[in-house]
Amino acid sequence: MSAVDNIPHIPEKSPMSFRSVINNAGIGIALLLMILFFSVASEHFLSANNITNILTQITINLILAVGMTFVILIGGIDLSVGSVMAFAAVVAGKAITLPGLGATELIILAVLAGVIAGMVCGILNGVVSAYWSLPSFIITLGMLNIARGAALQISEAQTIYSFPFAFEEFGSMLIYGVPVVFLVALALVVIAWFVLNRTVFGRLIYGIGNNEEAVRLAGHPVFWYKVAAFSICGLTAGIAAIIYMARLNISSPIAGIGFELNAIAAVIIGGTSLSGGRGSVIGTLLGAFIIGVLANGLILIGLSDFVRQMITGLVIVIAVILDHYRAKYSAS
Amino acid sequence: MTVSPLLSVTHLRKSFGGIHALDGVSFELLAGEVHALVGENGAGKSTLIKVLSGVHMFEAGEITLDGAPFRPASPHAAKLAGIQVVHQEFNLLNDLSVAENISIEAMPKTRLGLLDRAEMNRRARAALDAIGLSDVDVTTPVRSLGIAHRQLIEIARALQSESRILILDEPTATLTERETERLFEIVAGIKAKGVTVVFVSHHLEEVFGICDRVTVFRNGETIATREIADVTPADVVRFMVGRTLEEAQHAGSEAHLGAGVALSVEALRTTANPAGAPVSFDLRRGEILGIAGLVGAGRTEVLRAIFGADPKLAGEVRLDGSPVQITGPRDAIAAGIGFVTEDRKEEGLILDMPISANASLVDLGAVSRRGLLNFGREREMAAQGGARLKLKYGRLSDHAASLSGGNQQKVVLAKWLAATPKVLLLDEPTRGVDVGAKAEIYGILRDLAAQGVSMLVVSSEMPELITLCDRIMVMAGQEIQGTLARPDYSQERILHLAYGQEQTEERIPA
Repeated sequence: MSAVDNIPHIPEKSPMSFRSVINNAGIGIALLLMILFFSVASEHFLSANNITNILTQITINLILAVGMTFVILIGGIDLSVGSVMAFAAVVAGKAITLPGLGATELIILAVLAGVIAGMVCGILNGVVSAYWSLPSFIITLGMLNIARGAALQISEAQTIYSFPFAFEEFGSMLIYGVPVVFLVALALVVIAWFVLNRTVFGRLIYGIGNNEEAVRLAGHPVFWYKVAAFSICGLTAGIAAIIYMARLNISSPIAGIGFELNAIAAVIIGGTSLSGGRGSVIGTLLGAFIIGVLANGLILIGLSDFVRQMITGLVIVIAVILDHYRAKYSAS
Repeated sequence: MTVSPLLSVTHLRKSFGGIHALDGVSFELLAGEVHALVGENGAGKSTLIKVLSGVHMFEAGEITLDGAPFRPASPHAAKLAGIQVVHQEFNLLNDLSVAENISIEAMPKTRLGLLDRAEMNRRARAALDAIGLSDVDVTTPVRSLGIAHRQLIEIARALQSESRILILDEPTATLTERETERLFEIVAGIKAKGVTVVFVSHHLEEVFGICDRVTVFRNGETIATREIADVTPADVVRFMVGRTLEEAQHAGSEAHLGAGVALSVEALRTTANPAGAPVSFDLRRGEILGIAGLVGAGRTEVLRAIFGADPKLAGEVRLDGSPVQITGPRDAIAAGIGFVTEDRKEEGLILDMPISANASLVDLGAVSRRGLLNFGREREMAAQGGARLKLKYGRLSDHAASLSGGNQQKVVLAKWLAATPKVLLLDEPTRGVDVGAKAEIYGILRDLAAQGVSMLVVSSEMPELITLCDRIMVMAGQEIQGTLARPDYSQERILHLAYGQEQTEERIPA
């Protein structure tokens, strides 16, 4: 059999990642140009302190955006992550301030409580929208309100504080100037990349976003994959809640308002298609960096926060227009 | 009788990318007649309607309306000339009222430029009364009406402006018998008012019931125009098929037919067939059983129900004699059934993914361990599957979208063959595939049959079924009309059954 002759001679490690590198090159170049511009425009931009700042600032958004990538890849959207983060933070805050337990027990309990609270919200989002084939836009809009209300109810609209010292310390710990919380976010990016590119699960996440019916007819349980994508998004909202608490040393029921939009923006700027099936978590990482660098740099060169907001909005629109052409180009 | 025609079409030609949709179409429409257009799917009827209604431009030939050259550049131009079409699929806005739908093309306005609701309702009332539809309230939303009423409202809309020619494209496809009768009464009323009606239908009894003349299409040509009084349904079928029956020869031997029944379907009722006779048949090991029939005859529904792609109302599926419970594609695949779907872009391929990823989609277990993909193994499998099917491609990492139709279809086949099915369901396996690839696919399917794979092939191309299949089952109206064994094959017999013209005793070899 001449099967071997048909195998291309080019080493193909992973067809997906090769493609994602090409797709991400443009975003990476845009980010580099931005960094170049700000480092020329402001002498403080590349200072060690400021870099630490940027990394700290993008951490929460990056964590939320990693989960959001899964949901958007299957063609869904999750508007509830900001509220779910607050809900998870309040649940974890209640757990971590329980009387009569040691610091280690409290921290473990709080992390578990927060992560489980986030996942439960995500599972509900996924089950309801997938079972009845309802638009996740509406279902998660409902969850946005439900989770926010629950957070306010449980906390009686009070901010929770006085956490164990070790927990607070973790939030501000640096390794060679790099915040440990950012390393957590980076680890999530790596795990997500691995899952999306190297596992059957990830393959089918892409597949569902591209052609759900083909995946269903190939015998795969599409319903459970969709639920999984939403629960991963809830899970990352839970993790974001813990990071948020560790950084600010409080847990507030009004935390995370509007965070869902920043997370969606990072995913979209990162080149993931809103209609699903195309994109990568590496793009999401770059997208989160672009938003963070813009926010930081524009303030440093003396523009107001209002102008920063306008420019960020512009970047989102430009990213989607570019994506439109990229999709057209790759289709032809 | 020398009446000058209202509309005359001569030697009309129109092609789409090398395929001649209209290859010399000529016919004349006399004022005030009901004229039927009949022919197989793809014979050119729909293209002609689209040319007449200004959707497509024609390339050669001539159309004259009232003796003057007529070349509609847009649907609007055709409407101005008095040609109205009621399409097979509805163009109604379901949440708007009947009156709003009827006036959608030209909403009446008050002097202030606001919508004149009273005038709109008055016009709609008049339009409905004109076709005898006085029992419908013009203010009700279209959504609350049944299919038949929606159809009639489309007709009322088409007729309210000065229309001289009304084209009805398969108007009865979704109607019950009573509703059809009502439609016919309305058509008779329209005719009495001097409007000329063009009636496209697959149902010959309807054509013979209400039409004055009939024009038969075949392969983009008009074969004959006859007075209905001068012909019989059998004559019309003969025109559709053509005198020369080219019966492609099959290897012919039944040596490859194995012993025993591979798939047995017993009293299957699909959701499209809640009331008709249920479907039952046996598929022998290594047999290729064709299912012929017109679009909408229920062929795809049967395949989808067997595979569990859609829920079924009733019925039993047995594989190798033992009943299997199939509630979804997963069960079917586990039982050894594969399903090559009709529409490879919508249901078969993940176009934005590499060839190798598409080829492994059904049997991902074979290219992974504990959920981790083994890309080397995946490429190897895809290369083997590709070599087996003579797949032509650049790299396995190329997107499926980059392949030609025939090669895309081979990827779909490779995907299913990777799971080594015992029974393969194929829906239009060579649609949109060029002639060379078609022959290759036939070869592949025959090889599979020789290896003992049993196949159920739905196709709208009769030569394909005649070439490929050991037996041909003909469906119409969700029911099996008859089954033909190889010695009985002829396009004419198949068409007779497909148009519900006769019942044939089921003959099963051995």
